[in-house]
Amino acid sequence: MLWSLLVVHLLGVAVVSMVGARLARWSFLVAALPMAFSATVAAIALVDQTTTRAEFTWVGPLDLTIALRLDAFSSFIALLVSGIGVLVCVYAAGYFSASAQGLGRFAATLLGFSAAMLGLVLADTVWTMFLSWELTSITSFLLVGHQRTDPVARTAARRALVITAGGGLVLLGGFVVLNDAAPGRYLSDLEPVTGTGATVAAILILIAAATKSAQVPFHIWLPGAMKAPTPVSAYLHSATMVKAGVVLVAVASPALAQTSVWTPLGVTFGTASMVWGAIGALRHLDAKLILAWGTVSQLGLMIVLLSFGSGKAVFAAISILFAHAIFKAALFMIVGEIDIRTGTRDIRELSGLYRSMPLAYGVALVSSLSMAGVPPMLGFPAKEAAVEAALGLSGGERTVALVAIIGGSVLTVAYTARFILTVFHGGNGTPTAVAPRRWLMAAPAAFLGACTLFGFAFLGNITDWVRPAAVTINNKAEVYSLIRWPGLTDAFLISAGIVAAGAALGWAISRRATDTAPRTIGADTVDMSIDGSITIARHIAARVQHGSLPGYVLTMVAVAALATIPFIGAIDFDMITGADNAAQMVLAIFVAASAVASTQVRTRLGAALVLGSVGFAIAGLFVTSGAPDLVLTQLLVETVIVVGFVLGLGRLTTTFPRHGALWQTTRIGVSLMAAAAVAVGLTASARGPVPASNVERLSDEAVSEGGGKNVVNVILTDIRALDTLGEIVVLVVVAVGVLALLRRRPEVVLSPDEPSRLPEPTDNLTGADR
Amino acid sequence: MIDQTTGPSPIVSLGVRAATPLALVIAVFVFFAGHNRPGGGFAAGLLIGAVLVLRSIAGFPLPFRAIPLLATGTIIACTVALAPMLWGNVFLDQVVVEQTLPLLGKVKSGSALVFDIGVTLIVSGLIVAVLDGFRADHLATPPPDLANEKTNAENSS
Repeated sequence: MLWSLLVVHLLGVAVVSMVGARLARWSFLVAALPMAFSATVAAIALVDQTTTRAEFTWVGPLDLTIALRLDAFSSFIALLVSGIGVLVCVYAAGYFSASAQGLGRFAATLLGFSAAMLGLVLADTVWTMFLSWELTSITSFLLVGHQRTDPVARTAARRALVITAGGGLVLLGGFVVLNDAAPGRYLSDLEPVTGTGATVAAILILIAAATKSAQVPFHIWLPGAMKAPTPVSAYLHSATMVKAGVVLVAVASPALAQTSVWTPLGVTFGTASMVWGAIGALRHLDAKLILAWGTVSQLGLMIVLLSFGSGKAVFAAISILFAHAIFKAALFMIVGEIDIRTGTRDIRELSGLYRSMPLAYGVALVSSLSMAGVPPMLGFPAKEAAVEAALGLSGGERTVALVAIIGGSVLTVAYTARFILTVFHGGNGTPTAVAPRRWLMAAPAAFLGACTLFGFAFLGNITDWVRPAAVTINNKAEVYSLIRWPGLTDAFLISAGIVAAGAALGWAISRRATDTAPRTIGADTVDMSIDGSITIARHIAARVQHGSLPGYVLTMVAVAALATIPFIGAIDFDMITGADNAAQMVLAIFVAASAVASTQVRTRLGAALVLGSVGFAIAGLFVTSGAPDLVLTQLLVETVIVVGFVLGLGRLTTTFPRHGALWQTTRIGVSLMAAAAVAVGLTASARGPVPASNVERLSDEAVSEGGGKNVVNVILTDIRALDTLGEIVVLVVVAVGVLALLRRRPEVVLSPDEPSRLPEPTDNLTGADR
Repeated sequence: MIDQTTGPSPIVSLGVRAATPLALVIAVFVFFAGHNRPGGGFAAGLLIGAVLVLRSIAGFPLPFRAIPLLATGTIIACTVALAPMLWGNVFLDQVVVEQTLPLLGKVKSGSALVFDIGVTLIVSGLIVAVLDGFRADHLATPPPDLANEKTNAENSS
């Protein structure tokens, strides 16, 4: 059952990529079908409160198991991921124009991302989670960089990839350490652990979560990712990808919450993000960026609550996660609609939208009030739960939590107020021209707005979903509920104060005229360090990969020769004997003479022929030793090589160039080294006699198992067929490499600012020779 | 080497043309001989490769591209390697078949033979790739009398 969720998604990806080019923007509706399926499955599991598991052992001895688990927590998150996914797909069908290009690819990637995210949510072993985690990084990179010809989008996508994939490496480290410290097979039944290993795991996992959930100082990629088409922002940066870090913290907290670093580090990340994110949201002038920075802040709040880890805090975190996914997706959709209908998202240019876009205004107002935590919206009881959770702590934690949550919330209300005031009520009287409404865009946003309202109305049902999910993380959460009207409690008074102070602050800031759009602090540093490392890598590569063939050969031969040094001691000098018969003696002299001659020949053709004679003479030596298989192979290889040389020499001058004395000496030195190494290697390997039983066993097996009398061939194709398979794969790789390298024109350098265009393979000779 | 103005010597091209079918027959023989006597897929692949190199020198164009050879060879070898797993046997398990055929008498063979076909294709494919890399086709600018023969060969194949 659980596998079918992923299989349907992957089939969907295949179908959408195939028919996407023809369907254009309607391919999003095809992509919505698998998401609708998994949303239904998740909703049924959520309502029935059933737990389903599925697992597949990949490599048994290594304990590499892919396991999925649909329980109260994962079905809750999966419903958000898939449900909002469906709405985003509908929205995207309205967002893109009929003539937009590459939408099939885009829809397929979006669905692929959804599959990866579903895998991450359902994962029940660390490896499953890691795999999905990396897949979300890669697919989101492709989605952010959708406009691949736009250098800004490419830089933003690269920045997001470097930060989140770097976080993926940290996560891998964390999982390895965690697996060692808490050797549970499944994520869902990890036992609490402490100690050095657990502390290291806690630090690494929190850092990984911070990169994915855009926590300060790793938040830098998120504002840049706003370059993506708005459906991507609404999906990835509200409901899903940024929640991956939160999910990770939630899943890992039962095991790691006892370590001494867990709470302080998590609270530090979260608090810094709450404050810095809110400040960012107050500074920026692009409506979408305001929301993006707001997301950083809200995720900070969730991380803070999960890091405290008390029952009430976990309950509050999950409530906020739910409310946030709904209102933030709606707000992103509204901003996208404004962008499409007015042509700008700059709050300085928007004017009078509250009158010209009434439906959007209504949805935005409802969602913003939910974000600010004002009744009667879903965000209010969630925010109340957070304040209650802070009040419920004791000692220093209580103070820290209260200051963080109250401070962060005041700023949240402030940027929310500024968002509504500037986007919808701003401007200087002349209303912005607004294009007609597109229902496919308006309907999903309106639906989410309605969810925010109805969520408050049916708070009991929401509680029934949130509570079991929270209990999965911390079973002390069982006693809590979302409360519609708490009465005049401390928490309510604090909330009222927060809203009043925040609204005043927001109003004051929205009055202030700002002229220049601020830049994301730190983004340039990240980009510069990425560019810098690429430049350094190029310099190193240019030194190491000098492109001189003799240089490469010399290096390889010298290194290979040095590798035989340890075997010098293994030589058994008693084994060295003279020739067995006269023919061997003659052939050996011939081989040696030819080898010496090959160094003296001045023409290339002559050298090739002399080298060939060395090879044929060695074939002769094999004849005298009674090895017909080797003779045949050696003769054939030599023939092909000599004739191939002759063919290849047509590209070169007929004689060798003259070399300097130093180069000549080096080459002679390395050649002598190689000669010594081969001699050492051969004598050392011939040291112990091969046990006769081995030979007998192989001969018997060849006939009985392989059914052939040629032992060498049976070994090649049956007994050691795996080696042969490996060898022919190497041959294929070499052949493909030869084709690719020799056909390419080396002077083409791809400029990073241009869409990559590989030159067509040309058929002229000069192109290959240069 | 080929004198670019006159093309390859007629003796060379005639000799190579005459040798080609003979060498291919030997290649087939070596391939099957590998079961009980010296030979096998690798040697057969080298023989085919040697024929192609000779033909390139004599100015004949390459009869096929490298990629189809390499791809077919890889697919065959990998299929033989993986197929036993479908029946629950181990990777690369070998199946020996023994049958009495008309004319040939008792014939014993196995899946290793099919595996060897993959090896042959890949080895000859590598040589074609190298020839292609050298642009051996460029040597193939046959003089008028050869051009005639070439089109005939293409039509018949």
